[in-house]
Amino acid sequence: MPNIVGIDLGTTHSLIATIGHGVPRVIEDAAGRPIVPSVIHFGGDGTVHVGRDARDRMLDDSGHTISSIKRFMGRGLEDVREDLELLPFEASEESENIIRIDVFGREYTPPQLSALILKELKRMAEAALGDDVRNAVITVPAYFNDAQRQATKDAGRIAGLDVLRIVNEPTAASLAYGLQEQKHGTIAVYDFGGGTFDISLLKLSEGVFEVLSTSGDTHLGGDDIDQALMRMVMDETGRDLEPHELQRVRAASRRAKETLSDSETAALEIPEIGFARTLERDAFEAMIAPIVERTLLPCRQALKDAGIEPAGVDEVVMVGGSTRIPLVRRKVEALFGRTPHTELDPDQVVALGAAVQADILAGSRRDTLLLDVTPLSLGIETMGGVVSKIIPRNSTIPASASESFTTYVDGQTNVKIHVLQGERELVRDCRSLAEFDLRRIPPMPAGLPRIEVKFLIDADGILNVSARELRTEKFASIEVKPTYGLTDEQVETMILESFEHAEEDIELRLVIEARNEARQILEASAKSIDGEEYAELSAEEKQRIASGIAKLRSTMEGDDHQAIRDAIEENEQATHRLAELKMNAAVRKALKNKRVREIQ
Amino acid sequence: MKYFELFELEPRLNVDTAALERKFHALSREHHPDFHTLATPEERARALETTALLNDAYRTLRDSARRAEYLVRSHGLEIDSSQAPASMLMEVFEINEGLEELRAARRSGTGAEAMAEKADAVRERIADKRRTHDASLGQAFDRWDALVGTEASEEERQDHLRTLAEIVAQASYIRNLERELDEEAPR
Repeated sequence: MPNIVGIDLGTTHSLIATIGHGVPRVIEDAAGRPIVPSVIHFGGDGTVHVGRDARDRMLDDSGHTISSIKRFMGRGLEDVREDLELLPFEASEESENIIRIDVFGREYTPPQLSALILKELKRMAEAALGDDVRNAVITVPAYFNDAQRQATKDAGRIAGLDVLRIVNEPTAASLAYGLQEQKHGTIAVYDFGGGTFDISLLKLSEGVFEVLSTSGDTHLGGDDIDQALMRMVMDETGRDLEPHELQRVRAASRRAKETLSDSETAALEIPEIGFARTLERDAFEAMIAPIVERTLLPCRQALKDAGIEPAGVDEVVMVGGSTRIPLVRRKVEALFGRTPHTELDPDQVVALGAAVQADILAGSRRDTLLLDVTPLSLGIETMGGVVSKIIPRNSTIPASASESFTTYVDGQTNVKIHVLQGERELVRDCRSLAEFDLRRIPPMPAGLPRIEVKFLIDADGILNVSARELRTEKFASIEVKPTYGLTDEQVETMILESFEHAEEDIELRLVIEARNEARQILEASAKSIDGEEYAELSAEEKQRIASGIAKLRSTMEGDDHQAIRDAIEENEQATHRLAELKMNAAVRKALKNKRVREIQ
Repeated sequence: MKYFELFELEPRLNVDTAALERKFHALSREHHPDFHTLATPEERARALETTALLNDAYRTLRDSARRAEYLVRSHGLEIDSSQAPASMLMEVFEINEGLEELRAARRSGTGAEAMAEKADAVRERIADKRRTHDASLGQAFDRWDALVGTEASEEERQDHLRTLAEIVAQASYIRNLERELDEEAPR
């Protein structure tokens, strides 16, 4: 079975994990560090750094460093107005339905940028495992909608990964703790990360994890806490700060926040802007209480959806760096009336669980099964801009629904279906997912065709649609226009682009290999010319060798590996007789004192 | 009636939900796409289709109201839950009035305590309605189940189905009332 890895593609950092001897473990880089910051730095000379190298450049070159790209996945310009300020590069005018970021004259979409992070993780895993990594399970917040899930899958494809499954982060986390040993119970997973908040309630029975309900907020995380601290600093500084100063403030705020998880006070010092003060934990908690309180709303919603009282929860699992904050732990403990699990590193839980899910997909664990749900109701637009729900939220996935459509005009050959996600009644309050254009409907009088459209949400939580005209049993063709996100064609183009880049990489490697070989040949030639056999050669032969060496020297300066190979070949032919003479001389030397019989 | 067939059940309305869950888990272990990752594309597509159908069936059958609705619709009868069923008009009148009062109170800025009191009164009335309704639903289920596998005439079956359709419509009307109340005064 090929390696299947589990990837936690996070807002602030990402991890990659695998199963070793039946136990999930996070893969570390060469320096033994498991966490890859989800940061990308673009150098003006075309170099791209990902992870720690990029984060190290953030302070001095914040203007070319991208972080929190996950917030932009599957979203349009209107959704991320506030976050755009965080981007050091301009978003292009055509960003209405998918953000396009202009980096030194080249446009990148969020899936392409996320793909850079995935490639880095892939490289890390390949180095650690000493083997190709092609298959992956990637986690997303449970509350991600169709477009955000698709964008994540697209990122995987662009990075050269076959994404076998998109798994919800909290659901994956429930696998990491090995709770299946307990046979029965209700589990709450409270996942408070850098950029998103998720809550999931699961029922466990005999190895089957069934998600009962899920809720959350895709725009609520540790970043909001950092921003609250940053606002305090800015208010007290009393002047507008430059972008590079803001980065310092952000870094210092984050450090103070982390310190306050273990200490009662933290020093908040930013010499660059002449700011220094100490912050008490009490004051900090008062400041962030409204943010922590916002996480409890989705918790109550999830409990209600599952029909469970808070006291009915047997286990609470804490996920995400923000759950290190004592106030968060106290609030969660107060809500559920029990001490939450914090034994595993909250930053690693999701990746570890993703590795377990990968192991299930690899066929190694028949005992465990995860039954996940769709976080949002799926509906279609009907008369008057009203949404008719066809798959309710919290339905176990895969889930499907069939609807019949007909024509309103004689001979009408196409019908448009607008699909939405959300809980509200009106189209304008829901998230537009895609417009499906049913085409090539056999011409018939109005109302006669019966087109059955099947909506299927797959195990990744992504919608698939197929249609059939029942009277003629013909499949109507469907053209999909995703409202947010890339069309299949666009993704294909990006994959091709990334292949082109990969080819550049291969080209470069071939050139380097050819140069190394050329160098060895030249060294060997220099030695041969010094030898006594060289004198035996004719002038013409000597001339050929000399010109061969000169040609190889000049060719290897260039970057055409084929030309270098040709020159090497030419050299070998030129030195062929010299090599023969040397070989004979060596043989003669070895046989000098031996009799003929022994030779035979 | 393919949902019942999938679970190898007779189309009865009283269902042992614990047994249904066990069967659901057993069938999921057999068909879930997670266990067919390495199969051919055709087999994977089949696993996906079967599991989707299985999940749809379980979602429908484990909930008594959805189960009854499915049975009624499978026999070609429609359920209209947009209006209060004629049989309930008098009883729901009071509840709707209570909801209206609650809305008016909120608009006029009534205090949280007084609001909660009013909401509790309405909630109690709805709960009361649900209790009597659940009892009649139970009776209707028993009557239907008694018919399954007997030589009952088509006419008799249709008659029962119509009664069921009405009770199911009542159930969803009560659900709507509960939802309205929850929106007005979240618990």
